[in-house]
Amino acid sequence: MRTLDEKETTQVFEKLFKFTGNNLKNIVESPSHEGPDPDPGRYCFRLCKNRVYYVSESLVKRATNIGRHNLASLGTCIGKFTKGGSFHLTIQALSILAANAKHKVWLKPTSEMSFLYGNHVLKGGLGRITENINRGDGVVVFSMSDIPLGFAISQRSTQDCRKLDPNGLVVLHQADIGEYLRMEDEL
Amino acid sequence: MGKQKIILPPDLPPEVSEEEIQVSDEDLQFVNDNLDYAGFVSRLDTHSITKHVTRVADLKEDALEALYEKRLKKKKALQKDEEEEEEQPGIRVGHVDTLPVKTLDGQLYYRTLLNASKPSEGEGEGEERTNETDKGVVKLTKAERRAKLKKSKKEAKKQTKELPQDEVKDNPQRAVLAELKEDVTAEESFETKKCKLAELGIALLADPESNIKLLKEMLQMCNDGNHAIVKLGLLSLLSVFKDIIPGYRIRLPTEKELEMKVSKDVKKMRYYESTLLSAYKAYLQKLMVLEKVSLYQHAVVRCICTLLDAVPHFNYRESLVEVVVRNISSSDEVIRKLCCDTIKSLFTNEGKHGGEVTGAAVRLIANYVKAHNCQMHPDSIQVLMSLSFDEDLGRSEAPDKDKKVRNKKYKKGNRSEESSHLQPTDRKKSRQEMMSKMRDEVAADYKAASFTPDIMERRRMQSETLSAVFEIYFRVLKHTMQSIVPRPSGDTGTTHVTEAHPLLGPCLDGLAKFSHLMDLDYMGDLMDYLKKLACSGGKTDSSGKCLTVSERLRCCIIAFKVMRNNLDALNVDLQDFFVQLYNLILEYRPGRDQGEVLAEALKMMLCNDRQHDMQKAAAFIKRLATFSLCFESAESMAALVTLKHLLLKNVKCRVLLENDPGGGSVSGSVAKYQPYASDPNQSGALASVLWELNLLTKHYHPTISTLASGISNMSAAPTQAYLSTLTPQQAFRDLSLERESFSLKSNAAKSSNKRKRGSEGVTASSVDRVLEKAGSLDEDEVKKKLSEHYTLLRGVKENERLRSELDRTTRALSLYDDYKKQKKQKRRRKNHVS
Repeated sequence: MRTLDEKETTQVFEKLFKFTGNNLKNIVESPSHEGPDPDPGRYCFRLCKNRVYYVSESLVKRATNIGRHNLASLGTCIGKFTKGGSFHLTIQALSILAANAKHKVWLKPTSEMSFLYGNHVLKGGLGRITENINRGDGVVVFSMSDIPLGFAISQRSTQDCRKLDPNGLVVLHQADIGEYLRMEDEL
Repeated sequence: MGKQKIILPPDLPPEVSEEEIQVSDEDLQFVNDNLDYAGFVSRLDTHSITKHVTRVADLKEDALEALYEKRLKKKKALQKDEEEEEEQPGIRVGHVDTLPVKTLDGQLYYRTLLNASKPSEGEGEGEERTNETDKGVVKLTKAERRAKLKKSKKEAKKQTKELPQDEVKDNPQRAVLAELKEDVTAEESFETKKCKLAELGIALLADPESNIKLLKEMLQMCNDGNHAIVKLGLLSLLSVFKDIIPGYRIRLPTEKELEMKVSKDVKKMRYYESTLLSAYKAYLQKLMVLEKVSLYQHAVVRCICTLLDAVPHFNYRESLVEVVVRNISSSDEVIRKLCCDTIKSLFTNEGKHGGEVTGAAVRLIANYVKAHNCQMHPDSIQVLMSLSFDEDLGRSEAPDKDKKVRNKKYKKGNRSEESSHLQPTDRKKSRQEMMSKMRDEVAADYKAASFTPDIMERRRMQSETLSAVFEIYFRVLKHTMQSIVPRPSGDTGTTHVTEAHPLLGPCLDGLAKFSHLMDLDYMGDLMDYLKKLACSGGKTDSSGKCLTVSERLRCCIIAFKVMRNNLDALNVDLQDFFVQLYNLILEYRPGRDQGEVLAEALKMMLCNDRQHDMQKAAAFIKRLATFSLCFESAESMAALVTLKHLLLKNVKCRVLLENDPGGGSVSGSVAKYQPYASDPNQSGALASVLWELNLLTKHYHPTISTLASGISNMSAAPTQAYLSTLTPQQAFRDLSLERESFSLKSNAAKSSNKRKRGSEGVTASSVDRVLEKAGSLDEDEVKKKLSEHYTLLRGVKENERLRSELDRTTRALSLYDDYKKQKKQKRRRKNHVS
């Protein structure tokens, strides 16, 4: 387990910034009340076997006692580095992304299942959408009862969405909570 | 010689008896000194003199006697009136110029003092009339004015009959000095002119065609020097024109038509029309000239507005519209109100003028807004709210295209069909052709004759008007934006002089009304602007001023209204406006900002039937509860009503009613409540508890305490179907009205009326009982008791003070005694030693 170096940190933050915008500071600076210490520590990022983990400092301190080969995972995994060196967010990052999302999309109940199977979202399945989404923004997908379902990349701005016909693509699927079942082995 | 008028000799001085004559000493002395001169008096032949004086030629005894009797009567009346009043000497106008008047009794009266009396009487009347006219210029309606003119004319006629009765009274009214001589002539001419105006007007109305020349005369009278006459002239011309002007535009005949030989009727008509038009033109020019003179401004503006209102289809309406629009932002209240009302009626009564004037007027308003750089009175934009457009104006393009496509298809199909049919016979074809031609001709004639414009024409005009309207609104928005953007200045210590945004309010209202007609492309820009305006309060640098809280709240409200109107396009969640509202609730201050706007914002944004984010709803609930603790009953009530609504709608938020902070799994992603978070989603309110409700149950206002206790008792089960119908605005209004007459005693009765909810908390009834007890106390008793209590207190205090003084003095005395003793002892010891 080691800390991220500069290049890796920038990559991780860039990806996170696409979804959270200015709320990124909340992720980085939020106080963690985990652990027996009376003073709340911070959360930090650690790299272990090409996966990036979001851990509280108190946990990290204790995890240093475990050997490298025995350490399976710690805290929350938010993504992994590919062999080519780029960073991809995985579905486990959903909890911190959903809390700090800047752009949100709500799905109608009929199209929830479709998204959970890994399909993209059409305009006809869109229940609500936040204002001023631009093309290529990161978007967190919710159900109508505010349960986060996954995240995606928007294909069109909100303005264009208005004029779209009901079968047009609104967001491109990136990760959804159905993956916990479908891709259990890969996570 | 003939029968001349009998002129009676003047009256002899009254007879005074000898005894009553008192001669002063000086007189006596004078007579005695100058006996030579005064001597002749005794030698006078009084008898012959009197005979000479009193003889009248050529008159019989009886007639002479009658005449003398008449004169006596007159003199007696004169004397009587003279005794009643103190007079100033007046002019005696000789009765040579005026003819005598015969009364119903058959008696002749000479109008001797008519001119002296008439002006004084007429003066009083005339003054009243001028005062009336000065005020009445603005306030009298046209019907009243016409009636007044008629009345003045009738009165002039009546005056000749009334004279004999007046004369007896007026003779003594010689309240005319040398200076009043001029007024006499002026008043007289004023009266005559008024009568003349009335006559002309009535003649014109009776038979306009033959009397059309009289218009020129009336116009002439308006050139008079007297202000009142000019005003009256203008107003009477106004009423005449209103009735005379025909329902069509007059088009003067061209030269070719003039050369043609026409019948007498047509000639007469042409003459009538041309005179009417030229007189109207002269009248309008005079109005334009007089508009600059401040004395006539009210009257002139009134004339112009009434003309435009009544005959917007007639010639020269563009100049009228121009003047009216120019005055729409005048600082004079009356003028502005008149102009705004006229324009509003223009917009609403489009049938009168076929819609072109609307477009012209709106375009003129747009130009004025541009020229004045948006610094006009809000009324000037408020008039745009009375505009109405066809509902399908926004989608005018699409159906046409469809129609065309469909027509083409149909035609193609037809052709193929026709070719398959046998050719119909020639006669049938020609008959059909003739019929269709006739139908077309009839339709064309009908269209030309009817006044309603073609649908396409109408649509085009309305699109132009709409674009002008939106131009105005966007310019105002842009101007507001520019004035709030902080300009980079050298030293940040200076504060800029800020421009007010008077037009922002009505602009926002208009946008809310017309936004559904706007093209969807501009919707994004509009939202952008509104967001920037709403966020403008965040900048706290000294340069650049931000909008007030009310204005920002209005921006949020309008954004939501616009969204709601365009719901068919897309259901968009306005995240940023919610953030703004969240912060604005904290920034609200009761004296400075308007509570109604806040209540409306709450209703619009939170109480709608839209689903909300749990975290966001909880954040608002918590903040509204905090808010209601800090402000007066009206705002508290509005906040509590919204709170209840949100709790009823969002079942998951009822965890806030539980006594368990920290939420756990229900709290979502944020574990702890951040009260100062600016984003509702980051507040973590699901982890908090609504302890404020507990405090609110002890509020002094019974309604609020009932409501708070009701909310606390709301169960967490999702079966609560009861929804209160009270809106936050209503609640705010109710309690703010009540606030003024709020008193503990009377509130007991009111609270029972106000209780619209079914459940009555236990706390409320105990409050009631206390209040009733308080009400039964007598004021005097209370006063007595209080006074007793206070006198007692005062006595006790006095007592204490005196006691302490006593203690002090006794202590001082004892100290002194001790000192003395000690001294003695010392001396004794000294003595002993020595």
